[in-house]
Order: sequence, then structure tokens, then C-alpha cells
Amino acid sequence: MKQFKNQNLARKENISVEFFYHNAKERFNLKLLSDQVGFDRLIIEQNLHRPGLALAGFVELFSFSRVQVFGNTEMKYLQKLSSKQRAEVLTRLFDFEIPCIIITDKNKPFPEILNLANEKKIPVFGSHYPTTKLIYLVGDFLDDQFAPRMSVHGSFVDVYGVGMLFMGKSGVGKSEVALDLVERGHRLVADDVVILTKKGEGILLGSGTDMIKHFMEVRGIGIIDVRSMFGIRAIRFQKRLEVVIELEIWDDGQEYTRTGLEDSSVDVCGIDIPHVKLPIIPGKNITVISEVIALNYLLKHYGYDPAKVLQKRLLNKIDRNSQNMDRVIDYFEHDFE
Amino acid sequence: MIEEEVKIINDSGLHTRPAATIVKLASRYKSDFFIIKDGLSINGKSIIGVMTLAAAKGSKLILRFDGVDEQEALKEIKSYFERGFDEL
Repeated sequence: MKQFKNQNLARKENISVEFFYHNAKERFNLKLLSDQVGFDRLIIEQNLHRPGLALAGFVELFSFSRVQVFGNTEMKYLQKLSSKQRAEVLTRLFDFEIPCIIITDKNKPFPEILNLANEKKIPVFGSHYPTTKLIYLVGDFLDDQFAPRMSVHGSFVDVYGVGMLFMGKSGVGKSEVALDLVERGHRLVADDVVILTKKGEGILLGSGTDMIKHFMEVRGIGIIDVRSMFGIRAIRFQKRLEVVIELEIWDDGQEYTRTGLEDSSVDVCGIDIPHVKLPIIPGKNITVISEVIALNYLLKHYGYDPAKVLQKRLLNKIDRNSQNMDRVIDYFEHDFE
Repeated sequence: MIEEEVKIINDSGLHTRPAATIVKLASRYKSDFFIIKDGLSINGKSIIGVMTLAAAKGSKLILRFDGVDEQEALKEIKSYFERGFDEL
């Protein structure tokens, strides 16, 4: 299969606890329980960890570099201990370089936790969410932060709800196609610099950059702002990537798809994305063809593949060994209009 | 393919005018041209791309050329960076 040139795949190495708290406090209702200490600590993993076994004394293989979540189980266990024992087990835990601790489900922190937090400079947060919900939410947030990203050169447009990425050499007319699609009522996601983020397995989300947003350059005009020119209906901020369209100048030596029976796809960050190679020739309206590709993608998605339907019909006819080529219908024989 | 690191030395950084000049210079060559900053790589023949970098004075960029005339292209664009976009 064709490999996408993903030479510029990047992934965040870490995020600081300060960045995490700043972005997460409202989303997950996080409250700072300790003093504002250790905000420069770094979170380097998207996974969270419940330190039950570590509290009970088993610290081999303790994933201390993860955000630690104290749920009801952990708090109940700590409650059963005497104050002295509690300080002891917590000290063992706080001796590790933990990025931060989150106490869930409105549990009140023990004074021993807060003292150690301030002493060892490990921030402790509280949330009223139940543990499973918090782990799901924070995990999703960290997943997004640590997701592999790449920037590609192309135009990304939502055509009838299908995320289409136009690629091709500089000056081949990607921006013009995007502009034409916007004019016809489709929505621009980004032009020139498209950031693709790998979300979960099998999903790539495309968006623009925070600085450029929906500005674009059109050769011969210069820079235009699609949002102020065409309004809010002409843009969107992100869209799942569903089809890659490669524009290229017509090349006699190349073979182009004729039936569409074989699906061609391209590997982007390990995800298969349907791929169409479109040759540009005079008199060919790339915009209309793009709309057709989008509609055909939707049809296939909803279970109707025209190439397969026609193939089946052909095989049927061959089977019946019928010689004559019939007209499509013959009800209107006496209708000469 | 060849690569070289350059540094922004003029006070106002890589703003619109130098960005436009870089794109203009690069477009004269057949080679593919990428500029890489903090792991983000953009097409150096696109004005919007070059402006995305928002490179301030002191930033380090990697210029990457790939094609038949890569040597000449690198030489000319590198020299434009070294002259501080003619703003020194």
C-alpha cells in the first residue's frame, strides 16, 4: 500500500502539572487541595494509575510516573490504618517522583497526605467525580495531549460531511479547489497547514493552526480570510479525515482508476484512508468531481457500491447469455415526446 | 536531500515581508522545500505555511531541500537568512 510521507510525525514529550491544572480544572472540576507546590512537575504518560498495591506495600513495578488516582478503595484502606501507619505508607509513596495526585468522589484528604504533599512538593487535587468517570475524562484529555500529530501541506474541506484532504505540489490549485467548494456551500477546515491528530485507533482528526485559522492564500490575490468573507457557515474547526485526494498534472504514462472496484488507500500514521488520484486536465471541474467523490463515499458507506452493482448486473447478463442490448425501459413506446 | 540549520537574526523576526520573499525565492527552484521548527515541518513554498512558524529573533530553523537544484536553492535562501532578511 502507498505510504504517506509522514516524516514530520511529532508527539508531545511531556506536559507540566501547571498546564494540566490550568486546562483541566474547569473540565473535571479539579480543586487544589495542597498548597500550590510542584507545579513544574512533568506528566510524561497518558495513563493514570491507582496506587492500591503501592499503598499496601508492594512497590516493585510501581508506575509512579503516572498521575495517581486515590479512589474510595485507597481512601478506605488509609482510613483503616492508625495515624502512624498512615504516615508510614504515605511516606513510602511520596518518596517516588509522582507528578500529582487526584482524590476522587468528594473524599476528604487526610492531614498526612496534605503535609507530605507540601513537604515533598507533590500537588494534590480533589474532584467530586466518581473514580471511573474521572479516569475516563482525564485519560481522554491526556490521550489527546499526547496523541501523535503531524502537519501536512494541503487543503482540508468538509464536503457534504465528508472530510477531504486535497494534496499535491505547490501551485497545482489546492486552495482554488477549496475556495470553489466553500463558494458552493461546503466548509473549510484549514488551508496550507493542516494538523492531523491521531485519535484512538483508526481515527485522524484534521484541524488548522491557532494562528492561521481560516486565512488562506490565493495566487494572484494574496491573503484572504474565509471566515469574514463567507461567514460562519463556511468554516469548521475540526473534521475527521475520510478521503485523501491527490491532485496532479495529467501524466500520459500514469494509469488512473476506471471502475473503482479496487479500493485504493493510503497509510497515514498507520491508519488506512481512502485515496483518490485526480489528474487535472483542461475542462475538468475538480470541484464537481470532489463533490461526486464525497457522495460516492457516502453511498458506499451506506452500503451501495455502484461499481459492484454494475459488475453484478454484468455477470447476470453473461450468465443468461442474452444477446440483444435492450433499452432501459419500454413503457413509453407511443410517447413521442 | 540536504538540510541546514539557520538562525533568525533580525529584530522583528520572520514577519510577512521576509516570509513572502522566502516563498518567492523558493518557488524559482524545482526542489521541494521544507522548513522545520520544533518538530513541525511546513512547506516553504507556501506563504501561510511560513507565517505559521511565527519565528522570533533567535529561533533556529532547519531548511530542508530535496530535488535536482537543491544546492543552489539552499545557497540562496540560506544567504537571505544570514543577511537578516536585509533588515540589519
